[in-house]
Amino acid sequence: MHKFIRRNIAGYAFLLPWLVGFLLLAIGPILASLYLSFTKYNVINPPRWIGLDNYVFMFTMDDRFRKALSVTFTFVAISVPAKLCFALAVAMVLDKGIRAIGLYRALFYLPSILGGSIAVAILWRQLFNYDGVINALLRTVGIEGPYWLADPNYSLWTLVVLAVWQFGSPMLIFLAGLRAIPQDLYEAAEIDAAGPVRTFFAITVPLLAPVIFFNLVLQMIEAFKSFSGAFIISGGTGAPLDSLLFYTVYLFNEAFSFLRMGYASALAWVLLIIIAAFTAIAFWTSKYWVHYESQRG
Amino acid sequence: MTTLNRRTFLAGTAGLALASATGGAFAQDKARVRHFWWGNPERDKRTFAVIDIFNGKHPEIAAEGETLGFADYFTKLTTQIAGRSMPDVIQQGYGVLFEYIANGAVVPLDDYVGKTLDISKMDQSAIAAGTVNGKFYALSIGANSHVAMYNRRLYEAAGIKVGENFDPFAWTYDDVARIGRAVKDATGIAGTDDNTADYQNFSDFVGQKGVQMFSPEGEYQVTQEIVEEYWATWKTIRDAGATPPAQETAGLAGVADLAQTGLVTGKSATSYAWSNQLVGTQALMQDPIGAAMYPNTPAMVPGSIIQPSQFVCLTRDSASPEAATTYMSAFVNDLDMTRVLGLERGIPSNADVRTALDPQLSDIERVSVEFFAGIQGRTAVLAPPPPAGANEIEQTFERLAVEVLIGGRSPTEVAADFLNQAKGILMRA
Repeated sequence: MHKFIRRNIAGYAFLLPWLVGFLLLAIGPILASLYLSFTKYNVINPPRWIGLDNYVFMFTMDDRFRKALSVTFTFVAISVPAKLCFALAVAMVLDKGIRAIGLYRALFYLPSILGGSIAVAILWRQLFNYDGVINALLRTVGIEGPYWLADPNYSLWTLVVLAVWQFGSPMLIFLAGLRAIPQDLYEAAEIDAAGPVRTFFAITVPLLAPVIFFNLVLQMIEAFKSFSGAFIISGGTGAPLDSLLFYTVYLFNEAFSFLRMGYASALAWVLLIIIAAFTAIAFWTSKYWVHYESQRG
Repeated sequence: MTTLNRRTFLAGTAGLALASATGGAFAQDKARVRHFWWGNPERDKRTFAVIDIFNGKHPEIAAEGETLGFADYFTKLTTQIAGRSMPDVIQQGYGVLFEYIANGAVVPLDDYVGKTLDISKMDQSAIAAGTVNGKFYALSIGANSHVAMYNRRLYEAAGIKVGENFDPFAWTYDDVARIGRAVKDATGIAGTDDNTADYQNFSDFVGQKGVQMFSPEGEYQVTQEIVEEYWATWKTIRDAGATPPAQETAGLAGVADLAQTGLVTGKSATSYAWSNQLVGTQALMQDPIGAAMYPNTPAMVPGSIIQPSQFVCLTRDSASPEAATTYMSAFVNDLDMTRVLGLERGIPSNADVRTALDPQLSDIERVSVEFFAGIQGRTAVLAPPPPAGANEIEQTFERLAVEVLIGGRSPTEVAADFLNQAKGILMRA
C-alpha cells in the first residue's frame, strides 16, 4: 500500500486540482442538498430537520409540482423525438455529399452553441411576441398569428421549436454514424431493387440504432434539465398559467423566490430519480432494438 | 531526481498561488463601503454620480455601487446572506425589511446615531417607520404612494381636462372606463392598462371595500365577493374598449419592469405604479406624464397608503460600519448628494433637503410634489407589516388572474381557488 502511494503520488498530485474541485464543488454540495431535502431551510435561519415532510407534501398536496411534472413530461415527449427526427433528416441530406459540407455542418451546429444562452431566449421572446417577426411574416400571407407567448395553448410549442432548432450536436453524431455504415450494404440493396424507404428501415435504422440510442438518452436528460429558455420566456415564473412551469423553473422559484431551500433540494432529488429511472428504462428497452456490431458475430 | 524536481515545482507554484490570492486583501488601506440597490437606468445614473461625489469628499472611504433590477435583487441578496457576503449598505422596501430585521441580516443603527449617522433633520414619521421594538434599523429615503401615471398628450387629444371632466384625486372606475374609451376613440391607443392581474391595484380595492388585507393575527381577510367584484370591475372597463386586448395584458402579468409598462411602450395611455417611479418612467418616454390617484368606487373610501418608498440599511456583514454609516448619513443629508438624487426614490424625509430641492425641481419632480400635496387626507392608515408569505400570495394572484383574462374557469372558480391557495401559503410559511 505504502509503495503504491509512493509510486503514484505524482499522479495524484496532478489530479489534485480536479479532485479538490470535484469533492468541494460537486460531491460536497450534492450531499449537502440531500441533507437539506429533509429540512426546512430559508437560507437566513439555520436548517431545521423535518424528516420526510417535504416529500410527503410534494406527493400529496402540491398541485404546482404535478403541473410542473406534466409540463416537463409533455416537453420531453414532444421535443426529443422531434429533435432527433429533424437531426437525422438533416444528417442524411448532408451525408449525400454536397458541396461545401464543412460550411453547412458549421452553420447547422451554430444554434447548438448559442441555443442555451440567455441572449437566444430573449431573441426567441422577441420573435414570438405578438408584434414580433413570426407574426409579421404570417401577416404577409394573410394569417393573423396568435399570442404565442401569452396563450397557454401555444407557449410550450415555442420552446419545442427552440429545442428542435438546437439539433446540431445530435446531427453531427448521426452524420458520423451514417458514415460508418458500409456502402456495400446500400449497393446490395439497390441491386435487390429495394426502394429508399425500405433501405432506410432495413439498413439505416438498424445499423444506426446504437447512435440513435446514444442520442436519445443524451437528449432526454438534456430536455428534463432544460431551464434557461422557459425561465427567460416566462419571465421566471412559468407564466402564462403555469404552461411553461418546467420542473427546473419551479425548483428555482421555490428556492430563490420563496426561499424554500429544503423543499427545492427535495425537488432536485426527485428530478434526479426521475431522470435516472427514464435512463434505466431506455437502457432496458435497448436490448430489444439496439444491436451492436460486435454482437452480430 | 526528477520526482524531486516535480515536487519542488509543485510546492513552488502552490506557494505562488497562495501569495497572489492573499496579497490582494492586504492592499486595501481605505475603508471600503459597498452599496447595493435595485434600480432603473435613471436611478443607477444618479446613484453612481452620488457615489463619486461622496468619494471626492471622503478620501478615507472608498464607496462602490452595485445595482440590479428588482426581479433579481432579492435573489442575489439571498445568496449573499447565505455566503455571509452581503454588501455593507443595502436598499430595502417596506415589508421585506421586517423579515431581514427578524433574521438578523440587518443590524440596528442606534450605536452610530449622533456619531457617524445624523438623523436630527429626519421627519419623525420616517424615523418611526424604520424603528422596530424600540431599535432604529432603517433610514427612509423617501415617501411613496400608488400612482396612476397618464400620458398628458393623449389625454388632451381626447379632450380630457383636469377640473372639467377628470378629477385626478377622486376618479372612479366608471371614469376610467369613460376616459379610457374616449382616449381610444380619439387616438387609437388604449386609454388604460388592464389591472385584472395587478395585485397593487387589487390591494387598493380591498382597502376601498373597508377591509384590511391581513388581520393582526396574520389571517388573510379578503373575501370571495371582493375578488369577484374586482375582476368584474375591470371586465366592465375592458368591455368598454378602454384597455389593450386581454391576451396582451395576460402576457404582462407580474412584469415589474418599467420599460414594459403600457405607458412607456405606447400601448396604453395610463399605467399604474409607485409614485417614486414617476421620475424613472418619464426618463423612458417623451410625452409628459401626469399623476392621478388610483381609481376608487363612488363611496371614496381611501385604499392607497403613504409608506416609506425605500430604506438604506446596514448589514450584518459590514466590515467597517463606521464608514458605512458615514456614507448612509451623507446619502440622506448631504445637500450636494441629495440634489443629484432628487425625488427619484420618493419625496425625501429630510425637511432641509426638500427645501433645497424646491427651486431646481424638474417638471416631472414638480408633478410628484403636487401629487403628494393632493393625496394628503385621502389615503388609508399604514397597515402593520404583512406576514411572511404575503409576497407569494401576490404572485399567486397574478398567476391565477391570467385565467380570468384569457378564459378557462369562471372568475368565481378562480377566486375560490386563489383564496384557498392564499390560505395554504400562510399555513406553510
